[in-house]
Amino acid sequence: MSAVATARPSPARNRPSLRRQASRAGRHVLLTLLSIATLFPVVLAVSTALKTSQDVRVNPFGLFSSFSTENLVTAWTVGDFDDYLLNSILLSVPSTVVVVVVSTMAGYTFARLPFPGRSVAFYLVVLGLLVPFFTYMIPLYFQLRSIGLLDSLLGTNLVLATTGLAFGTFFMRAFFSDLPTELEQAARIDGASEWQIFLKIMVPMVGSGMGALAVFTFLQNWNNFLVPLLYQPNGAYRPLTTGLYLFLGGRSIDIGPLAAGTLITILPVVVLFVALQRQVTQGIVSGAVKG
Amino acid sequence: MTDTRAVPDVASAGAPPPVPTPASRGVPSGRYRAPRATRREQARLGVLLVAPVMLLVGVFFLFPLLNAVYYAFVDFDGLNSAPPFVGAANFVEIFGDPKVWAALQNNMVWILIGTAAPLAIGLALALLMWGVRRGSVFYRVAFFMPYILPQVAVGVVWGWIYDPIRGWLNRGLEVVGLGSLQTGWLGNADTALYAVLGTAIWATSGFVFVIFLSALRNVDQELVDAARLDRANSLQRLWYVVLPQIMPIFLMVTTITLIGGFSVFDIVFVMTGGGPAGATDVLGTYAYSSAFQLNRISYGTALALVITVLAVPFTIALNRLQRRLSLDGAGA
Repeated sequence: MSAVATARPSPARNRPSLRRQASRAGRHVLLTLLSIATLFPVVLAVSTALKTSQDVRVNPFGLFSSFSTENLVTAWTVGDFDDYLLNSILLSVPSTVVVVVVSTMAGYTFARLPFPGRSVAFYLVVLGLLVPFFTYMIPLYFQLRSIGLLDSLLGTNLVLATTGLAFGTFFMRAFFSDLPTELEQAARIDGASEWQIFLKIMVPMVGSGMGALAVFTFLQNWNNFLVPLLYQPNGAYRPLTTGLYLFLGGRSIDIGPLAAGTLITILPVVVLFVALQRQVTQGIVSGAVKG
Repeated sequence: MTDTRAVPDVASAGAPPPVPTPASRGVPSGRYRAPRATRREQARLGVLLVAPVMLLVGVFFLFPLLNAVYYAFVDFDGLNSAPPFVGAANFVEIFGDPKVWAALQNNMVWILIGTAAPLAIGLALALLMWGVRRGSVFYRVAFFMPYILPQVAVGVVWGWIYDPIRGWLNRGLEVVGLGSLQTGWLGNADTALYAVLGTAIWATSGFVFVIFLSALRNVDQELVDAARLDRANSLQRLWYVVLPQIMPIFLMVTTITLIGGFSVFDIVFVMTGGGPAGATDVLGTYAYSSAFQLNRISYGTALALVITVLAVPFTIALNRLQRRLSLDGAGA
């Protein structure tokens, strides 16, 4: 490095840029090390899941000391993770669709369509952002029991959807508030009805927001274990997270299949996140900042 | 995912149609008033469009919430269809219950460390990545990943890291010659809370990092360069130039993590369930075990209500402060 510096005619002018280069390289080294450290638990899950059961007994947490899919097979067949995976989809997809559709409708109204009592309605909806779920989870259990919605796909989906509606409404309202009013006025002069303005003009303009909300809500619902744990008491439609939780409680010594179950649970989340990382991070940032 | 939700902007809820949000602050908010027929049509569509959200929120949130208030004033064991009214007895018992105070103390530890550490780590990572272009997607994915993983899976894997015999933490300590510090991290009452907290910090820092990273993008680089020319060192530049510019965001993140400290539940529930012997019980897990394991439904519900009420003033105060700062033009 110093050789390069002295070879140049004016070392005094070059020194800062060299220092900057060195500091940039140092930054990359540090960032890479920190990334690896951060991802270590994920690596550990993958490594443990892909061991032979013999190796798991002797050396469960040594990294990649053997390779086998037997744990995955055990979790899939004996551990019922095939059912859990299906149930996870059945519980997160419909609830996500409900959140995105209902929040878009509500967000538009709270941003653009005044009616008497609207602000009271808005307060009631966003109250959900202040109240933790465990405050009302117990009465909700007895309520669902009395209307026969325990252990049902419908009941669990509706509860999951409702836990996402406060954020969703709040989030979509911010998107609609940012849109210019000229377009809707022009459409109104052209004789478009309010419904047409909403559906044909406004909704297409918040597509990115709906996409971000969909990804965020899907992850949230996929990861939720408490709602299915409480409201699927007989495990009729037990998803991956709840299945993993009960597996952890029952047979925490079976590290191999437990690791495989963990891998099956996180894999869809990781893939979705890596594929859509921009939408996920932007959605979360704008969701948190926009208010 | 950890429960870090946005804080509602309560102040602008009642505003008329073109609601000026911080994002559209530059636009003069000349009130647009539509003709009467249009307003009537808008109101009709509005009522129609909010009907589903009101129905769902009413049935699956507001009604059980009101029921929670009712439960708190009766003595309900889960079976009795006409539970006796007990007035404020549940609340009186809460204030005299040493386990509640122990749990509250754990919440306080959680609020202090669980807010300060992710803020420091997230800010440090964001500053480290500020201006880095190459590889930024990889770094962002890596640092943010813990936040989007299911807490159950996180709890399982960190349980292995904290394993008393073969866990990586104890093995690592041995390698660096600190073998005397080895312990069963989650089984030892003195360390369990901090072990769980460590996992939570790992998960939350990525969230804070991503928010700060996007806030730094709006920091006026010329001011930073000017300070550099004035021979301000990097700490001074951070303190006097960068931090004031991201203050609203800083307060917003503080609010979110702070409320998270009151309402923490999932990660403790998964990793220790409040044990060993209540050492990691926070208000949320204590309320849960009172209700579901001891069948003291009313007592657990009353406690959950107390937690909610405790968190609200913090939210509102910090929200106000944040609003005032961002209205001062400090660029949110």
